[in-house]
Amino acid sequence: MNWQAIALSLKLAVCVAGILLAAGLPIAYWVTFSRWRWKFLVEAVVALPLVLPPTVLGYYILVGLGPRHFAGRVWESWFGHTLPFTFGGLLVASVLYSLPFAVQPISAGFEGVDRRLIEASWTLGASRLATFFRVILPLSAAGAVTGIVLSFAHTIGEFGVVLMVGGNIPGVTRTVSIDIYDQVQAANYDAANRTALVLLLFSFLVLTAIYGTNRRTLSIWRRP
Amino acid sequence: MSLEVAIEKNVPGFRLAVEFTADGAPLGLLGPSGSGKTMALRAIAGLETPDRGRIVLNGRVLFDSERRIDVPARARRIGLLFQNYALFPHLTVAENVAFGLWSLPDAEKNRRVAEQLAAARLDGLAERYPATLSGGEQQRVALARALAIEPAALLLDEPFSALDTHLRSALERQLREMLATYGGSTLFVSHNLEEAYRVCEKLVVLAQGNVAAQGPKEEIFRHPPTLEVARVTGCKNFSRARLLSDGRVKALDWGCTLRVAQQLASLPEYVAIRAHHVRVHPAQELNLENSENVFPCWLAAMTETPFRVTLDLRIGAPPANPNDFHLQAEVFKQEWESFRDLPQPWAIKLATERLFLLRD
Repeated sequence: MNWQAIALSLKLAVCVAGILLAAGLPIAYWVTFSRWRWKFLVEAVVALPLVLPPTVLGYYILVGLGPRHFAGRVWESWFGHTLPFTFGGLLVASVLYSLPFAVQPISAGFEGVDRRLIEASWTLGASRLATFFRVILPLSAAGAVTGIVLSFAHTIGEFGVVLMVGGNIPGVTRTVSIDIYDQVQAANYDAANRTALVLLLFSFLVLTAIYGTNRRTLSIWRRP
Repeated sequence: MSLEVAIEKNVPGFRLAVEFTADGAPLGLLGPSGSGKTMALRAIAGLETPDRGRIVLNGRVLFDSERRIDVPARARRIGLLFQNYALFPHLTVAENVAFGLWSLPDAEKNRRVAEQLAAARLDGLAERYPATLSGGEQQRVALARALAIEPAALLLDEPFSALDTHLRSALERQLREMLATYGGSTLFVSHNLEEAYRVCEKLVVLAQGNVAAQGPKEEIFRHPPTLEVARVTGCKNFSRARLLSDGRVKALDWGCTLRVAQQLASLPEYVAIRAHHVRVHPAQELNLENSENVFPCWLAAMTETPFRVTLDLRIGAPPANPNDFHLQAEVFKQEWESFRDLPQPWAIKLATERLFLLRD
């Protein structure tokens, strides 16, 4: 069993979930509450990874962050190397690819908060930021948890983008899904099966643990 | 102690243009649904931005379109009681009441919360969550939460509409007691005229986004100026009217001529009388030929409530069907039983001092 690949996948998924928690909350807040008339354009861009084949997204990230393009050159001049075929490149690509999986459930959670509760908070003197942390976020925790779990799980399972941007460097960019692919290519069905089973069980356990906890905490204030 | 409001707001299909002033006594905003009461309330609270106008609370300008002043809701210090209370479901009763007090030191905060809970008779419920409370308890928590910030004005949006009838009168009494001790201006929005009448001293009647009448409540109920206000204040009997000489009007829809006491500066267009002011008697008790404002009438239909009956009556000739009637009379059951079995026509009396004249 390739523990190195499993550890790498976990590290990547934890980083992506953390970044998307920090970035997803403000983006989802803006998408939910902004009254800007061109908002739908931003919504469409955020949702793009849902419909694009991973190869297309991977291709643009690979080219865009490569040494021939502006963003890639800026990165190179700051950090001394380009992003493709590094863990950092993998991280950037995974965050972009999982963005809608974080933003959409969080935003749906925000939308589910009764507008009058938000207004009640304002009339009681709370600022927008205070209202967010004291009313909106506690009441939409389920959406935030779902968003984070989905981006975690989605990152563990991603394949196309990883292969395009990260390549297949052991310990750097060879994640579990790519390792399984390699094993199958080499006809090592036993190894592929063991890794696949570990991945399956792990994903299932994480999801049930989080959804189960989530339901219990929510039921405290949904009691009739 | 004063709240001056003069605002205009246009939204597709509706225009709100209202002007009124509230002083220390509770002011009732009365009107049918869709008349703009709630929008006016939200504008005062800062949740809705008017297109034009001014809102001044105790000399402090909260909104002035010309001077581009628009104090945000969080800085207005106005307590708003939402129609369905809008309690925070994830916070306990005590945490709900303390919500607006986060900037105070803990000791002061706890003192104020305890004070509000005691005043609202909620002491035993401090650690409960809103979902476990009855409607009446929820309303008291919402009121305690609004009062805890010591608001300069208190806005109540249909506070009893979400409650069962048997809870209303007790809560209404508590609210009246509470308002008597509260020092700021109070606006009470309602579509229920009896409720507004009991709680408030002065009334503003809204109709289609405009102020149709305002003043002391007795005045508005005794002499509603327009047909709309008469309707909102619960009057059910109207007839188009033509003014004759010598203080009499011809009631065109009722087919009779009536003597009226009221003088109107402009030509009246309608004559009206409240259902409980219409008297019905057995015919032989009144001289049909010579008494003023007394006419023969026939019963078209009848509806019963536990203590009263509403009679749909037609003047002058028997009705062709149950919908063929001129006026509704509301009488107590005992009274009704005294003449129900007597032969028709009965005598209907529209007392001179009870009739009022209306503009359109």
